Amino acid sequence: MSVPDEDVTLRGISLIRAFTDGAKSRNVIDDVSIDLHRGQVALLMGPSGSGKSTLLAIMSGLLKPDAGQVMARENGRWLDIWKMSPREREQFRLRNCGFIFQGYNLFPALTARQQLEIILRWGDGVPGKEARKRADEMLGLLGLAGKEHKKPAQLSGGEKQRVAIGRALIKRPRFCFADEPTSALDWSSGQVVIDLLQKASHEYDSTIIVVSHDHRLLEHVDVSYQLEDGRMMENAIPCPTDTWRGHQ
Amino acid sequence: MNYSLSTLWHERPRYLPGIGAVAFSAVLIALQCGLLLGLFKITSIPVDHTRADVWIGSPEVLSVDLGRPIPMSQLSRVAGDPRVAVVEPYYQSFGSWIKPNGGSELCILIGCSLEDDSLGSITELTPELRAALTEPLSVVVDRAERKNLGVNIGDYAEINKQRVRIVGETSAGLKSLAGAYVFCSRPTAAQVLRGVMPKDHITYLLLKCHNPADAEVVAAEMNQEYKDSHDMTVMSSSQFSTRSRMHWLIKTKAGIALGYTALLGLLVGAVVTSQTLYAATVASAKEFAILLAMGIPRWRITSMVLVQSFWVGLFGVLLAYPCIHALAWLGTLVGVFIPLPWELLAMSGGITLVMALFSGLIALRSVRTIEPMSLLR
Repeated sequence: MSVPDEDVTLRGISLIRAFTDGAKSRNVIDDVSIDLHRGQVALLMGPSGSGKSTLLAIMSGLLKPDAGQVMARENGRWLDIWKMSPREREQFRLRNCGFIFQGYNLFPALTARQQLEIILRWGDGVPGKEARKRADEMLGLLGLAGKEHKKPAQLSGGEKQRVAIGRALIKRPRFCFADEPTSALDWSSGQVVIDLLQKASHEYDSTIIVVSHDHRLLEHVDVSYQLEDGRMMENAIPCPTDTWRGHQ
Repeated sequence: MNYSLSTLWHERPRYLPGIGAVAFSAVLIALQCGLLLGLFKITSIPVDHTRADVWIGSPEVLSVDLGRPIPMSQLSRVAGDPRVAVVEPYYQSFGSWIKPNGGSELCILIGCSLEDDSLGSITELTPELRAALTEPLSVVVDRAERKNLGVNIGDYAEINKQRVRIVGETSAGLKSLAGAYVFCSRPTAAQVLRGVMPKDHITYLLLKCHNPADAEVVAAEMNQEYKDSHDMTVMSSSQFSTRSRMHWLIKTKAGIALGYTALLGLLVGAVVTSQTLYAATVASAKEFAILLAMGIPRWRITSMVLVQSFWVGLFGVLLAYPCIHALAWLGTLVGVFIPLPWELLAMSGGITLVMALFSGLIALRSVRTIEPMSLLR
């Protein structure tokens, strides 16, 4: 089973990132290279402090590595996102990136619909009517039809995470970064969330990277990576559900 | 409803201190200015409550109560002026009031014509009071000052050692900054003031113009015509009224005191409002961080905070207006008149709204500290 190289969309090359604690400096990410593919959900696993979230931050353009490159393919062109200016990187993230975090981070005052609308209106300047239509469509796909007017306090944990997923996917991003998206949920809600991410990666041909320490997710992702002490232990283990859609 | 307004409504308890602070500032400014307006309005009562179009007084007279004697002969000078319909002599001078029980007070004696069409008689002097004042050495005082002057109607008191009888009272709350107004006829004034005023002198000449709308033009032209003699100042009644108020405003330094108090109120309002907005933004830092992670420009968040500051300001001002009117009404119950012209209300509202926006700018430091990386720590 192999993945065609032209399907690689995000590539980390020899990444190093050190954190200083007093006089001591420690490599949290230690010479990590990783290839991520379109249409796949990749699971990044490892114990606490292994550097998973740091690697996610580096790959998503939020945290600069001390050494190495992050290359992203956009419209057939490879871009080194850490050679971009901060403004260019912000624009890159606006065009290409969605984020999901463990804590939902939904605006308490806004309805489910507004949480999604705000991304389209503030990010892409989509007119109100169209933003509303697209938000409602996305909420429908996420099984939240009829809950457009609900505010976070009126939604369950699973529903809130689905709204957060909708917010990340509303602009159909090339890359979606999810940090522990299921850890605050019971397993059945967690399953729904990871399956939604699976579906989205296939439908939008997105590259989705999930950071988690929950082994139960292994059965629901396309590929997994194991980090320990900042080093990649096992590289690109295809998972049981892996189908490499269209590339077998 | 826009996102800022939704947030404001949903988190009302969080924003209430800011709204209250804006309202406090607006109330403080409006009432301070209103009190001052009311206070200095009383300095120009003799001008504002009479019918004269133009006042002629001593050179460079600063305020209506500070007029020095001018020769009565000035009257013939202006009487023949074709622009003038009526000329009337008028007395106004400080006097020493001795109460029946021996105590003393400063008073302002006003002697004017008692005719129905008198230019110098204040409108509160009814025909009955004016008739009573025809009695030699009789005076009328205002009810609000009668207690201070220690007299009842029918009592005798002394002004400048001249015995006078109180024949009536007005009930319009006619108070003055320096001393109680005491109204009388011109002959009574001439007699009471003979020790302090040269013979054949008066304090003012009051003019009625053929066309009252020309008062300012007439005053300007007369000043020009008589400038070489340096012996009088001519002003329209509105000019003299403003000059009298401004003199006392500057002389007493009340304007500076007002400025300090208003500034203090604004500072308190700005600090509380900016802290409210700062705390609200910090509380939403993670939500904003998500937006920044997704590439939403920071200026969008900045503008949301500024729009919130606008709404906080607007709601604060809207809350302030009923409070201002209620407090002004309470003031009238204890005899304090607080005029609230629309210009004053608009100014206090405008200043506090700008203050709220400024507070929003100060609170923006919280936006600068928001980093998407904080979500991954």
